[in-house]
Amino acid sequence: MYALCDVSSMYASCEKVFDPKIRKKPVVVLTNNDGCICAVCPVAKKMGLTKMFAPFFQVREQLEEIGAVVRSSNYELYADLSQKMMDVCAKFAPHIHVYSIDECFLYYGKTNRYVPSEGWEAHAMAIRQKVWRSVRLPIGVGIASTPTLAKAANHAAKKIAGFNGVAVIDTQQQRYRVLSQMKVTDVWGIGRRLGKRLNALGIESAWQLANLKRGWARKHFSILVESTVDELNGTVKFNWDEVRSAKREIYSTRSFGQRIYQAKALRNALVFHAQIVAGKLRKQGSLVKSMTIFAASSVHDSAGYYRKSVQHVFCTPTNDTSKIAAVCTASLNALFKQGIGFYRCGVGLVDLVDEHQYQQDLFTPAADSSALMQCIDDINQTFGRDSVFVASRGVKQKFAMRRDYLSPQYTTCWRDLPRIKCN
Amino acid sequence: MLKFIPLRAQAGITGFESPAAEYKQLGLDLDQLLIDHPEATYIGYAEGESMTGVGIFSGDLLIISRVEPVRNNDIIVANLNGDFVCKLVDKKNKRLLSSAAGYRPYYLNQGDEFEIEGVCIRSIRLHRPLSHVL
Repeated sequence: MYALCDVSSMYASCEKVFDPKIRKKPVVVLTNNDGCICAVCPVAKKMGLTKMFAPFFQVREQLEEIGAVVRSSNYELYADLSQKMMDVCAKFAPHIHVYSIDECFLYYGKTNRYVPSEGWEAHAMAIRQKVWRSVRLPIGVGIASTPTLAKAANHAAKKIAGFNGVAVIDTQQQRYRVLSQMKVTDVWGIGRRLGKRLNALGIESAWQLANLKRGWARKHFSILVESTVDELNGTVKFNWDEVRSAKREIYSTRSFGQRIYQAKALRNALVFHAQIVAGKLRKQGSLVKSMTIFAASSVHDSAGYYRKSVQHVFCTPTNDTSKIAAVCTASLNALFKQGIGFYRCGVGLVDLVDEHQYQQDLFTPAADSSALMQCIDDINQTFGRDSVFVASRGVKQKFAMRRDYLSPQYTTCWRDLPRIKCN
Repeated sequence: MLKFIPLRAQAGITGFESPAAEYKQLGLDLDQLLIDHPEATYIGYAEGESMTGVGIFSGDLLIISRVEPVRNNDIIVANLNGDFVCKLVDKKNKRLLSSAAGYRPYYLNQGDEFEIEGVCIRSIRLHRPLSHVL
């Protein structure tokens, strides 16, 4: 059996943990640079804030009207609370797979014969209560015999009337009850486009999807849809390794807090991204063969959209920060244009090879300073991100993210610990 | 009376092995000593003098466990109408008690927003200020 645990409106819920003043208020959280709404708490949803990813400036008045609390994304806080939530969940099952910052799968083993002594329903409830008690985050728990059904059960737990935060699919009746009340696009892996095609053929509910003939699903759609049909019928088709496998591309891109007009500032930003991707590259044990570097203005600019990108292929695959940074610096001339107010830039590593599988070229020996890189990673691991960095990044970051409504880092910064009144 | 708790910080060195090798393992970790359930524990600063009777002074670090069972008269941290407060809980009479002279008990009303956040399992006095982090 599988259990899917996920936090309801994760970011907004995290904001409430250490700020008791806003627990009963409508809370929304904004994305990077305070651009769009990315999380809405249940109180705010009830007050009519249902549009996710609405640009902040468009809903600003509505937010003021209902007295909503607006927060910038506090990733330090969310990451820490996420870790704690995962630790609590992990105690309930022999295996855990962390799927994203706010959701994890628990796996209880292959045979469906195992049933916890208290029963699945009570077990799900126990996980939910324990997470609430330990971390003060509200979660939904869905339990079923395949990952896709567990996702469906989790959907039911939160969205279908009659389930209060937990749902178990362990009988045919229960499977029918959940799937017949779910839209086909609510099924894991069925996106909007696939959903449209399915709808056109009269397939509206998850239950109808589950009853498709396997071969037909494969012929008219894909192996993925066929596997989904199988999973909805209780046959496990997806496994973690597919999800967990090393990333085949690594990107770091971000919009600037303020427009950038100088070449040097753009270079600093690019080198900053180079550092991030190189660190990620080493962490997953890969080397990069080719990379792309880009810089652009905003698509909303009246002066017209400017976007330039440069591709670079390394003779010898590398994961050396200084080499990746050097390519960024070298491509500056091709990217920069006087008079353009740059709004975004980024670095993408698009062709990766496994460090251990790569065979060195006899005539071009690798000149990576791997010992130096290891040392940099260790220092930054111990003393915090950016304790040491490539100097061409610039010492002062002028393009730092805009986070005007940031809450304190209650759990990761000594200065920001919550204050407790003794009076 | 203040009691000194002797912590055994000694390696069992036997035979002729290099003693240095043993000492490598000796780093004692305060988290391990003070925090029983890291996933359910957080730290805060005390502000105010109402709990001096139990040895909590303004500026002390409080270690709060959300999973520790709440017993009568425990030192708890609670959300009281939107503020985190540190009090002794009198469950029977639904009161929050301070532990310093001059503070009256607080009787919980129906209209109060009140949730126990956790039990204050440890408090730490900072006899010299933490100037390097604060």
